[in-house]
Amino acid sequence: MTSLAPDALAAGTQAAWRRWLRRHGWTVGVWILLFGLIAYYSTLIPRFGAFQVASIVNNGTPLVFLAVAQAIIVIAGGIDLGVGGMLVLSSVTAAQLMEGQAFGVTVILAVLIVLGAALLNSGVGWIITASKVPDIVITLGSLYVFQGMALAVLPNPGGGTSEGFRWIFTGSTRGIGSNPWPAAVMMAVAVFAVAWWMGKTRSGLSLYAAGSDRTASYLSGINADRVKITAYAIGGAFAAMAGLATTAIAGRGNATTVGGNLTLNSVAAIVLGGVALTGGIGSVIAVVPAGIILFFLNPILTAMGVDPHGAQVIQGVLIVFVMAVTGLIEWRRRRQA
Amino acid sequence: MSTDLIPVVEDGDEVVSSRQKAARYLTTHPHLVLIGVLIVLIILTGLVEPNYISVNGLRNSALFAVPIGVLAAGQTILMLTGGIDLSAAMIATGAAYVAANQSPRGALIAIVAGLLVGLLAGAANGIGVGIFQVNPLIMTLAMSGILLGLFTSWAQTIFSGSTRMGDFIRTLGGGSFFGRAVPWALVIWAVLSVIVVYMLRRSGFGRNLYALGDNPAASRLSGTRAWQVLLAVYTIAGVFAAIAGLLLGGRVGAVDLQLAGVFLLPSVAAAVIGGTSIFGGVGTYTGTILGALILGVLQSLLTFLGAGQAVQQMLYGSIVIGLSWLYTRISAAQ
Repeated sequence: MTSLAPDALAAGTQAAWRRWLRRHGWTVGVWILLFGLIAYYSTLIPRFGAFQVASIVNNGTPLVFLAVAQAIIVIAGGIDLGVGGMLVLSSVTAAQLMEGQAFGVTVILAVLIVLGAALLNSGVGWIITASKVPDIVITLGSLYVFQGMALAVLPNPGGGTSEGFRWIFTGSTRGIGSNPWPAAVMMAVAVFAVAWWMGKTRSGLSLYAAGSDRTASYLSGINADRVKITAYAIGGAFAAMAGLATTAIAGRGNATTVGGNLTLNSVAAIVLGGVALTGGIGSVIAVVPAGIILFFLNPILTAMGVDPHGAQVIQGVLIVFVMAVTGLIEWRRRRQA
Repeated sequence: MSTDLIPVVEDGDEVVSSRQKAARYLTTHPHLVLIGVLIVLIILTGLVEPNYISVNGLRNSALFAVPIGVLAAGQTILMLTGGIDLSAAMIATGAAYVAANQSPRGALIAIVAGLLVGLLAGAANGIGVGIFQVNPLIMTLAMSGILLGLFTSWAQTIFSGSTRMGDFIRTLGGGSFFGRAVPWALVIWAVLSVIVVYMLRRSGFGRNLYALGDNPAASRLSGTRAWQVLLAVYTIAGVFAAIAGLLLGGRVGAVDLQLAGVFLLPSVAAAVIGGTSIFGGVGTYTGTILGALILGVLQSLLTFLGAGQAVQQMLYGSIVIGLSWLYTRISAAQ
C-alpha cells in the first residue's frame, strides 16, 4: 500500500498539473510572450531603461482597460461595438469638465464619469435584453450615439485636466516620464479585482455561466438578463477608465477620434488574450498582456526597421496566424475526442 | 417564443377583427413595414425641404444608397452563413486605388484590376474563415488592417500621383442618362440586385448559404462541404465590395484612403434593418435594399435639417437601434 502511494501521488499531481496547464496555459503563454517581446525589444534599441518601460505601460493602459471592458462583456455572452465610442465620450467629457479644476475636483469628476458610463452602458444592456436584438446590432447603434454625444460635448479638440490627475495615470504631471508605477498599480488593482469577482463570487461566476449556455444558466436559477446588464455596466465603467487614461496621457480630449477603430483593437486584444467570442471562456488576466502586446508590436517593428505601415500588415497577419493555429489545435482535439 | 405553446386556432368560425387581420398580414409581410418607413421618411424629408420631392432630390438619396446597398449585398450573403465582412470598406478603397492607378491603360483593364483586388482579398478571407476556421469578425478585421497597411504604404510609393479615376468609371459612378434623371450607378446596382436575389432564391448555392447558416451540422451531414461554400461566398462578397469601391471612386472622381470607410457600418446596418439575422440562416436581399434606401433618404433628411455631425450620428445610431427593435418585434410576433 505505502509503496503505491508515491506513484499514485505522482500520477495525481501530474494530472493536476496538466489540468492546470490546460486551464491557464493560454494566460501563462501570453505573459511569457509579452516578457519575451520586451526582452527582445531591449536588445534592439541602444538604451532600454525606465523611460521605455514607462512608455509601454502608460501608453498601453487605454487599450488594456478597453480590452478588459470587451472581455467582461464577451465572456457574459455579448459583444460591445460601442466601447470605443464610450472611451471617446468619457475622454472628452473629462477633458471638458476638468479643465482648470483642482486635483480633488478632477478625481470626483472622474468617479462620476465612471459611474455615469456604467449607468449609460447598463441602459444599452437593458435595450439588448428587452428587444432581443443581437448585441452586435444594438451596440453598432450605441457606437454612433456615443460618438455623436462626444462631438456634442466637445466639438473641437481641446479641454484639459489637472496635473495631479495626469500623474495618477502616467506617473508624471506632464503625461510623459519614467515612472510606470501608478499606471501599473492601477491596472493591477482593477484587473485583479475583476478577476477575483469573476472567478470567486457567485455573481461573477454567473457571467461565465450565462455566457457559455444561456438556457442551462436560466434553468439553474440565474437571471441571464440581469447578468448581461451587469456585464455591460461594468464593461462601460472600464471603457470610461480607458477614456480617462486617454485624457490623462494627452492632457486634452479629441472627439474626432474614431471609436470604431478602438473597438476593433479591443476585439483583437481579447482574441489574442484567449477569450472565446462565443462567450463563457477566457480570463481578464490574459487580456492585459494581450492588450499591451498589440500596442507594443508597433515600437518593436519600428525598432526592427519595418515602417509603420508594414507593422500594421504584420500585426494583421500575426492575429490571423494565432487564430488559425488555435483553430487547428481545436480541430485536432475534437477529432481525437 | 411563448406563442408557440398556445394551440393554433384555425380561422373559420373564429371572428377576426380587421385590425387583427392587418396585424397578422404585417407580421407575415415584414417588408411592408420597411416600405412604410421609407415612404414616411420621404414625406418627412419633403415637408422639411419641399424641393426634395423631385427627380433631383430623390436621385441624390439613391446615389447615397448605392455604395451602401452594394456593400450590403456582400454583408447579406455573408450574414446568411453567420459571417460578416469588416474589411469590405478597405477592399472597396483598395479596388478604387488600383483602378485609378490602371486608368491610363484603359477602362477595361482598370475595372478588371480593381475587381481582382476584391477577388483576392475576398478569397483570402474565405480561406481564413472556411479552411482555417478563423472567426469571421477577426479574419476580416485583420484583413482590413493588412489592406490599410499595404495601401497606405503603396499610396506613397507605387500608387503615388495616380489618384484620379478614369473618365469611363467616373461616368459609371457619377453620371446619369435620360436628362440626368437615372444615374448609371443605380442601373448597375439594379442589375446586381437581380443577380443576388435570383442567386439567393433560385440557385442551389443560395440554398446552401441559408442551410449553412441555419444549421451547419445538418448542412454538413447532407453533403455540403462548408469550406467550399465559405470560400465562394467570401470571394463573391469581396468582388461586391470592389464594385462598390469602383462606383464610389467614380462618383468622387479621385481616391484617398478614407474613401469607403464611412460606409462600412452603414452597410452592416442596412442588412440588419432589412431583417437579415447576424446569426445566419434568415434574411433576404430585398430587405437589405429597402434598408439601404432608408439610410439613403435618412442621410438626405439629416442634411436638410442642417443637423451638425453630432446630432446626425446620434440620430443615426438611435434609428438603427429603433428600427432593428421594431423589426424584431414584428417578426417575433409571427
